[in-house]
Amino acid sequence: MTETHSALSTGSGLAARRIARPLQYLALACYVVFLGFPLLFLLLTAFKSSQELLSPNPTFLPQTWDFSNFAGAIEKANLIQAATNSLVVAVSTTIIVTLISLPAAYALARFRTRLRTIATGWILLSQVFPFILIIIPLFLVLKQIGLINNLLGLVVVYTVWSLPFALWMLQGYVAGIPVELEEAGAMDGGSRLLILRRIVLPLLAPGLVATSLFAFIGSWNEFFFALVLIQDPKLQTLPLTLARFVGAEGQVQLGQLAAASLLATIPSLVFFAIIQRRLTSGLLSGAVKG
Amino acid sequence: MSTSTLTKPAPPVTPVKRRRRNTGTNGGGRDAWLLVLPALIPVVLFSVYPLVQGILLGFTDAKAGLNAVVTFNGVDNYVRLAGNQLFWNSFRIGLIWAFGVTALQFLASLGLALLLNLDLKFRGFARTLALVPWAMPPVVIAIMWRLMLNPSYGPINEALRTVGLPGDTNWLGSFSTALPAVIVVGVWAGMPQTTITLLAGLQNVSAELHEAAAIDGAGVMTRFWHVTLPALRPIIVAITTLDLIWNFNSFALVFVLTAGGPGGQTMLPMLFAYNEAFRYGAFGYAAAMGNVMVIVISVFLFLYLRGQARSRLS
Amino acid sequence: MKRRAALAVGALAVATVLTGCAFGGGGGTTSSEKPTAEGPVTLTFQSLAFQDTTIAATKEIVDSWNKDHPDITVKLQQGSWDNVHDQLVTQFQGGTAPDIIHDESADIAGFANQGYLADLKPYLSDDVMNAVSKDVWKTVTAQDGAIVAAPTLLQTYVVFANTDAFKKAGVPLPDGKQLSWDDFQALAKKLTGDGKYGIGWGMKQPTATVMNLALGFGGTFFDNKGNTSTIHVGDAELEVPKRIHDMAYTDKSIDPVSLTQSGSDVLPGFFKGSYAMYVGGNYVAQQLTESAPKGFSWAVLPPLAGSQGTMQAANPQTMSVAASSKHVKQAAEFIDYFMNPTNQAKLAEGDWLIPASAPARDQVAKDTAGKNGWGAMLASAEAMTAAPFQSAANYPQWKDQYATPSLQKYLANTISVDELKKQLTDGWAAVGG
Repeated sequence: MTETHSALSTGSGLAARRIARPLQYLALACYVVFLGFPLLFLLLTAFKSSQELLSPNPTFLPQTWDFSNFAGAIEKANLIQAATNSLVVAVSTTIIVTLISLPAAYALARFRTRLRTIATGWILLSQVFPFILIIIPLFLVLKQIGLINNLLGLVVVYTVWSLPFALWMLQGYVAGIPVELEEAGAMDGGSRLLILRRIVLPLLAPGLVATSLFAFIGSWNEFFFALVLIQDPKLQTLPLTLARFVGAEGQVQLGQLAAASLLATIPSLVFFAIIQRRLTSGLLSGAVKG
Repeated sequence: MSTSTLTKPAPPVTPVKRRRRNTGTNGGGRDAWLLVLPALIPVVLFSVYPLVQGILLGFTDAKAGLNAVVTFNGVDNYVRLAGNQLFWNSFRIGLIWAFGVTALQFLASLGLALLLNLDLKFRGFARTLALVPWAMPPVVIAIMWRLMLNPSYGPINEALRTVGLPGDTNWLGSFSTALPAVIVVGVWAGMPQTTITLLAGLQNVSAELHEAAAIDGAGVMTRFWHVTLPALRPIIVAITTLDLIWNFNSFALVFVLTAGGPGGQTMLPMLFAYNEAFRYGAFGYAAAMGNVMVIVISVFLFLYLRGQARSRLS
Repeated sequence: MKRRAALAVGALAVATVLTGCAFGGGGGTTSSEKPTAEGPVTLTFQSLAFQDTTIAATKEIVDSWNKDHPDITVKLQQGSWDNVHDQLVTQFQGGTAPDIIHDESADIAGFANQGYLADLKPYLSDDVMNAVSKDVWKTVTAQDGAIVAAPTLLQTYVVFANTDAFKKAGVPLPDGKQLSWDDFQALAKKLTGDGKYGIGWGMKQPTATVMNLALGFGGTFFDNKGNTSTIHVGDAELEVPKRIHDMAYTDKSIDPVSLTQSGSDVLPGFFKGSYAMYVGGNYVAQQLTESAPKGFSWAVLPPLAGSQGTMQAANPQTMSVAASSKHVKQAAEFIDYFMNPTNQAKLAEGDWLIPASAPARDQVAKDTAGKNGWGAMLASAEAMTAAPFQSAANYPQWKDQYATPSLQKYLANTISVDELKKQLTDGWAAVGG
């Protein structure tokens, strides 16, 4: 980062910099507007009353900061129940994914067996296959074991669906921990389990946190599988509830829709804010090598 | 097993590793399988098995209906598909969408990554903002943009009206603008992962290379073309191919934005197959479509692997 | 290594065998194992009510039923119109369909043919049978004569007028029993000018409107004989799209942009005064009454009449029972109760729709005293009749994939009326019609 500037501070570079700088700020501003404005608009719409939204001359800022949309959305769309469903599914998925991918990732990173090639192949392949191929037979498989229209069935599907990415990430993190540390621990007389607990786990903690948060966000946001597998309105997850927020002839109450959408996004945004630092360092070490 | 080899008095590190690897293929192999088993079982049951079934389903005439009978019908589905104008139309739209979004996404993300790599003020804020679309559920992104693009009260048309341009285009509803509008939303939604990946790549480009090139008198543009880009090549190939595959398989965003309309102008292949299966109940036919889509994606994948192999050799 | 290969082949073989099994057992067992004869019975009822008033009315009906019938409990679930069709496809396939299904008649023909809906004829009382006209019963009768649903609420397409705009243009508000299309066109022309259009018409989903209004010209589109339906697109069928097209592009009295928007998106323009008239479902009267800006005065014009009269296709909301339900008799009993005039009136007033049941219509007329356009709206229901398209099994697919895109293109003036005719006809052949 700073290195690029030492190169630029030579002679003619300084003049170029004086012209380039404002242009760069302008470009950055354009990006900020492009990325941030839609979210801002969503926020403002959530606070406008339906009278205001239907009025012939809508203003940019809400005329009154109307909180009724939030209350209305929560009640009408049964948001609390949908949020609970989403939460239950996301948390369960995250826990299970973390528990089963941790040993698997360790094995894949440490042991050079044929398994590793198969696993890498499957990880890649699972990104490739269109959901449509898997959803119909998956639907039938789940029906036979009675997990259709059932949050547990959704957890199972999400777990399997999140595994590739989790394995890929964790494997990268484990590979980033020098093997010598484990060997040093072994030479000091520790058993395998002790080494894993005392040495590997603490170092792996940030990677674990990042992986589990990814799994959480992935499950929280998922739409397609939930669309097909969940039909009982009481079991709907948030994305489903939002997508179905329409009346008989396409009537939509926009203020409430905006409010509901905002509420649905907040947990994701919060978690993402937490892990965004780790993203550039930890995650990408795996990506760049892989 | 491994502890016994390690209690020998401190030999140099590498021979220890080598010996451990040898025992690894036998004892460690079993160990590995054990560790992987809890992940393996659900994967086989709920991923591999349904996938194989799904592929086979593409060769049957499975339909919705109480007590419907399923029979293998060989390549009938594919013959029908070959003549199905609507399917090939959606395929074409899928390709336009995938390439359009991926290319634009790449260019936009590269620009942003370059900017974030500089020492500008508000860099931290911009970087956080760049990640926001990644955190939002695709459904919310679609709803948000539907509001933005609304012809009567969306801000985009408002802005156009204030500067005197025609401000009543129904972006998502008119035949000529629907696909481009949807592509823009796709780019917005896909920028975070590409930006971050490219940014990480940029930060990894060796500073010495830059210094050396600068000392040799290379200007900013030349340095960019001949130092930065080549160093970034493996990452670019990786993220672009992955983006291409993800975009081709995209569903939720366009489903909520336009449901494939107007008149099928934004009917991505996944949407078309979904409708075939879950609106009209033609399960076998839809699976056949899935099989065809897999073949296309495999081509992309093949190109990716070849690109990876090549960059490893270079 | 060899072991692993053998393992892989074995797995694949097992998968293939199981594929056959999975589909052999594809009918599946329904998730509920309920006692079939005596003992308390629980029924699931998925309602699609959207308006707060209707949701409350539905809950009230269910609660009063549960109180009077302690041995038959109805559990109310909330569904959504937006995806009820897809949801039913997966629910029927997965065996998780609710006992009592709320849908609309144009949507259920396919399900009826697939055998998923129970015949209600043996269970519905005479009161219910007599309350609804024979024409409307036709819309819920399957090809084998089974009655697969009870019709509840209907909508008609009506013309709303901004009375101030009429006054300003010096045009008298039409009165009388009907408004002919020719007069409608003339009115629109007179009211266009000064940057304002005579009509704003949200035709983003054009097929339903066209199919419904075509009956006024005798445009039936389909002939149903037994299990096959053949399509015919002649002058009568093309009359409505042609007139709308001409009004938009020759008379320039319809705002062409509104033709690409949904009804609710065109409403703000109507409030703003950009359009003197607005064509939409009669339930829009609710938004006009409750959300219009102050000082906005409006009226419902007489029903539109084609060469054959004011007929519109009835597409009632429906209440059906799943064929796989274990308690068809009890579910039908609930539907019978649901259909009584007091209950239907409550629902109609909540949704601003018209009950199919004549006694219920009288009740609504009494309750609303004909105000807020109710008088005209209730009268328009007299001319509702069944249309052949409702029994054409592949209609939903034809509508989605061919009719809607072609009509949208025609109304956007990108294809000619001959091309429209060809695409509609060829499309029916393509869906295996």
